[in-house]
Formats: sequence, structure tokens, C-alpha cells
Amino acid sequence: MLKKDLLELCLLQLLAGGDKYGYEVLTPLRAAFPDTQESAIYALLRGLGREKYTEWYMAPGGGGPDRKYYRLTPAGRDRLEELKGDWRNMRDAIASFGV
Amino acid sequence: MARIKTTLTREQYLKKFSRAVRWRLPPQESEEAIADYRELIFREERDESKLVEELGEPVQAAHLLTDVQTYRRWLTVFAVLAFGVFLLAKWAFMGHSSFYFTFAEQWWYPVWVMAAGLVLSLYWFRRHGQKNGTTSKWLVLALVVVLVFGVGTMAWNWHVFDSSFLDGYAEVYPLVIPWQVILQRELIINGGVVCALIALAGLILAKCYDRRWLALYTLAVTVAAVCGFIIFFCRSIDIGYAIRSSAQSYLFARLIPIGAVGLIGTGVALC
Repeated sequence: MLKKDLLELCLLQLLAGGDKYGYEVLTPLRAAFPDTQESAIYALLRGLGREKYTEWYMAPGGGGPDRKYYRLTPAGRDRLEELKGDWRNMRDAIASFGV
Repeated sequence: MARIKTTLTREQYLKKFSRAVRWRLPPQESEEAIADYRELIFREERDESKLVEELGEPVQAAHLLTDVQTYRRWLTVFAVLAFGVFLLAKWAFMGHSSFYFTFAEQWWYPVWVMAAGLVLSLYWFRRHGQKNGTTSKWLVLALVVVLVFGVGTMAWNWHVFDSSFLDGYAEVYPLVIPWQVILQRELIINGGVVCALIALAGLILAKCYDRRWLALYTLAVTVAAVCGFIIFFCRSIDIGYAIRSSAQSYLFARLIPIGAVGLIGTGVALC
């Protein structure tokens, strides 16, 4: 698993917890991966939309203008399960080395 | 060597990002990305001095969003069109081509380039371009300037290629080039080069802002091709009596349809 896959896993997991707008996704990911710029996370988010793993809709947000909310699609849930499987396999493999 | 950290204001960042993203992405995607970045950049929590550090360089951010295949296709189309514009500028400046085809006179080469450019650009921008708001007044102004120049050049050439003018001058001053001919030459050489540059600008603006800017490309390419046609024609013929008497009708029987095609192309680009 590459760092990009880990970011993707975390991003999908975040959205599995409920629909979120852009900044709500970017902030925790940037905190977890401080050496990754927001533009890279945003590009990943858009990439997931292109792959039909996520979709977006506009909804009122906190008294201000409408915000763009992202949500998981069924294909996105499948992808999340696939990435979780990969992650567990890798974690077990690394653990077998005593790490 | 340590990298120098750049600082940009929110407006500067968005402007640079918008420019880069419009050049690289299809219109709808670029507008979506710009809207998203506007939301990210103008958040109250955002520290303006850390904009580049947190979001990355604007061009780099646009690069990350680029679909390589789509972008390469656009670059290929742009390279072909830009090469055509370069040829028109070179031909207008040099007055001859470095390659020859036996089946056609050289003065047709600029017309071929213009036709290929019109077909390719109109096809591409009708499929991949997007209108953006109302027609810019700068576009209208630029079209009027190019059109006035094109019509003026045609009218001047009509006068210069008039057999009565040429015959009369040849009889009175056989060894002197009339100032009208010098002006005509300067007009088509410099006008051809400038119109080629304007065409290139129209192409870039059509990609970055509004596909209707393609009208500037089509019109300027047409005028550049007309200039190229005339200068090739002038350099290729021997102005003897027989030519002098028929040059005007020969030239304008071809220039008028070429101009009409260009105008139709301009109309299509504006629609």
C-alpha cells in the first residue's frame, strides 16, 4: 500500500461516517498527514469522484452560502472494504516481521 | 539550495490557480475546481501567509488535478494550431515557403493552413469549449479592429492591382516603385505577422476564458492567410502587361471566397 492508498482509505472512512463538506475532510487528513498538502488531498477527493466512489450535492451550511457536501456511493463502500482488506493484510505481514 | 518560499495573497493565489487550471482542465471541471478552491482559500480560519505552504504552489495544485490524457490531447491540438499560426507569420514575413508541392501554386499554402486550422479549432472548441457569461466587449473590439484591417487591406490591394493604375505608373515612372505598392507590401507583411500573433492570443483566450474568443482566432487567421496569399502571389508573378491586366480579377476571384469562408467560421465560433 502506498501513502496515496492510505490517504484514500482514511478519506473513504471519513465519508463512511457521514456526509462532509470539503474543509471537514481536508482538516483531519492534513492533521494526520502533516507533510501532505491540501491540494494533494483535494486532488484525491476529486479523483474519487471521477472514479464514482463519491458524489457531491449542494446544501445549506452553517448560515452561510450553500456548501458542497461529499458522500460515499455503493461503489465507494466496496472500495473502502477492499482497501481495509489490503490494510489488514499489510499490517499482519509487517507484524510477522516483529515490527 | 534552499527553496525560496513564496507568499501570495488570497486573490493572487486564486488568480494564478484559475489561470493554470483553465489551461489544463476541461471547462466544467476547471470551474468546479475554482469554486472549490475559492471556498477553501477564503475561509476565515485560513492564514493567508501560509496559503502556499498549506495548499501548495498554484500551478502544482492545478497539475495535481490534471487528467494527463485529456491534457495531452489539448496540447497536441494547440501545438498543431500554433504551428499553423507560426507558418502564416513566417510566410507573411519571408514571402516564400521552404517547401514546394508540384500540384499547387505556393500562394495556396496559407489557405490550406487556414482551412485546416478553422476545421480543427471549430471542431475542438465546439466539443470541448464552453461559453462564459456574455460576449466580452474586448472581443468585439478586437474583432472590429481585425475586420477593419482585413477589409482595408483588401481595398488597398484592389486599388494597387487595378491595371489602369499599374499601366499608368509603368509608363510614366518605369523604374520607380510607387509608394502605393510599398505601402501595400508593408501592410501585408506586417499585418500578416500581427494577425498571426492575434490569432494565437485568441486561441489561448478561447481555452482559458470563453470559447467565443475563438472567433478572434478564425478572423485573424483568415486575414493572415489572405496576406500570405497576396504576398506569395506578388513574389511569384512577373508583372508584365498580360499579368497586370488580369491580376486584379484573378486575385479577387479567390480572395473574396476565402474571406467569406473566414467570416462564416467567425460567425460559427461566436454562436
